[in-house]
Amino acid sequence: MLEFRKLTKEFNGKRAVSDVTLSIPAGQMVGVIGRSGAGKSTLLRMINRLNDASSGQLLHEGREITALTGRDLRQWRNECAMVFQQFNLVGRLNVLTNVMSGRLFHHGFGTSMLGLFSARERAFAIRALDRLGMAHVALQQTDTLSGGQQQRVAIARALVQEPKILLADEPIASLDPLNAKIVMDALRAINTEDGLTVICNLHTLDTARHYCDRIIGMQDGRVVFDGTAAQLTDRMAREIYGAEAAEAFNEALTSTSLGGARPAPAVVAV
Amino acid sequence: MALTLTMPPVQPGQDAVALFEAHRAAIRRQKLTANLLLLGGFLVMLFWSIDVSRFWPESLIAGVPRIFEYFGSVMPTLQWDLLFAGANAEGRFPQGSIGFWYNDFWTYLSLIWETILMAITSTLIATALAVVLSFLAARNLTPAPWVGVVARRFLEFCRGVPEILFALVFVFAVGIGPLAGILAITIHATGALGKLFSEVNENASMRPVDGLTAVGGTWAQRMRYGVLPQVLPNFTSYALWRFEINVRAAAVVGFVGGGGIGQELNHVISFYSDDRVTAVLILVVLTVTLIDLVSERARHALIGKESLK
Repeated sequence: MLEFRKLTKEFNGKRAVSDVTLSIPAGQMVGVIGRSGAGKSTLLRMINRLNDASSGQLLHEGREITALTGRDLRQWRNECAMVFQQFNLVGRLNVLTNVMSGRLFHHGFGTSMLGLFSARERAFAIRALDRLGMAHVALQQTDTLSGGQQQRVAIARALVQEPKILLADEPIASLDPLNAKIVMDALRAINTEDGLTVICNLHTLDTARHYCDRIIGMQDGRVVFDGTAAQLTDRMAREIYGAEAAEAFNEALTSTSLGGARPAPAVVAV
Repeated sequence: MALTLTMPPVQPGQDAVALFEAHRAAIRRQKLTANLLLLGGFLVMLFWSIDVSRFWPESLIAGVPRIFEYFGSVMPTLQWDLLFAGANAEGRFPQGSIGFWYNDFWTYLSLIWETILMAITSTLIATALAVVLSFLAARNLTPAPWVGVVARRFLEFCRGVPEILFALVFVFAVGIGPLAGILAITIHATGALGKLFSEVNENASMRPVDGLTAVGGTWAQRMRYGVLPQVLPNFTSYALWRFEINVRAAAVVGFVGGGGIGQELNHVISFYSDDRVTAVLILVVLTVTLIDLVSERARHALIGKESLK
């Protein structure tokens, strides 16, 4: 159970996330929707503390995540893996090393600086890659892969962390429709087969409706909708997306029309 | 008042073109004033430095022939018929032969080898130190702002003091010999490489670093896996370039007792000032040229491989 208590994040006095109170039971697949700049990314990045909350609390099974420091914080990050829109892999390293870097929390200074991974870890990484159909490129340099392939490698890296929660920040926004489907299917499979909690920021409505048990709608940093796909009426969705409604409704799975580029955040100084 | 490039918003009833032209003219006036001020400042500094260094035509004209005069005095006397003459029964070469000129050839060569080894050792140590310090010093990567400030000031000190000064201090501390020279060159090169490396680090993409933060990696792990693979080709290229510089530096620190060929060069200049000076100088120039050529090829191969990717 992940509990948000009035979680708030301010950037230079502007509220990106405002008083979010939620609870997410273990094993749920949650889609967070909203227009660009609604605070979806900030909310997700506060869960693994890539962004620190300005006020409020986040608890996981009674443990206060917002108060963790040092090794405890790194252990928590290891428990809740993250997949990014731009994959955030190390392009110049091979695929296998990128996946094995998911085990770094379990390594001391010496073995990680020398790049010494055990045969067991290698096997683990290969199995994770194989599950995503990527074992055959294990020794290839990562930046030679396509976007969809890189995202699958990123998911494999997340899997070898043996996480309890998987965070996915716009995982398909830079992918073409076919790869978007492969990646979303993989996330759903991980949710149902491994019982992982998956929290996924999605730009498009159809994807969220199709894959998620529960949809959370955000607008200007606040949660304005929380329910099942069936409960999300068209009128509600239009309100969540505002001016971006047409784009969010018309595109089946992804925003390839933008060439992978993400629209600029709506936080513009006036 | 300084103008910004952004022009005030066009109000209803105003002509955008007229407004833009006025804005553009104002910006250009401002730039012209700034440029004229800079030019004035530059000319003042130029004439000041000419005055201080006495860079006057008459002193130049008087000085140039004396350069040739010195080289004339250290030129070897070679005779065509004896050029390749061998040593006699007592192991002496006749005057006018190359053998006579380069009587101490093997001494010189072993000293040049010592110089190259000094450069290799100091480049290796300096590169290792600079890699670590560059991560601490890079503004985007430093574990804490104050660590960054300390690391940057330390690097500035290291490269701010000339190696010849460090060499003097180390000759006093550890005695005459290559160790003093190696220490001096290492410190100076650490400062220079650390600065270059940290600038490379500051241009590295932060996305992989974010990814490694998210897996629970420590600061060292983020640097090792997130940044190092990105910057390694640049680091190697800079380290090779520094090696070229260090060979030249290693040839100079000997003048103050830092070991290597410089010690011999200083010796022959101050004690004999004869053809032995040119004998050593030619060897030094040849070595430096050779190393520059080889290292340049290696660097270009490295950069070429990168850009083809």
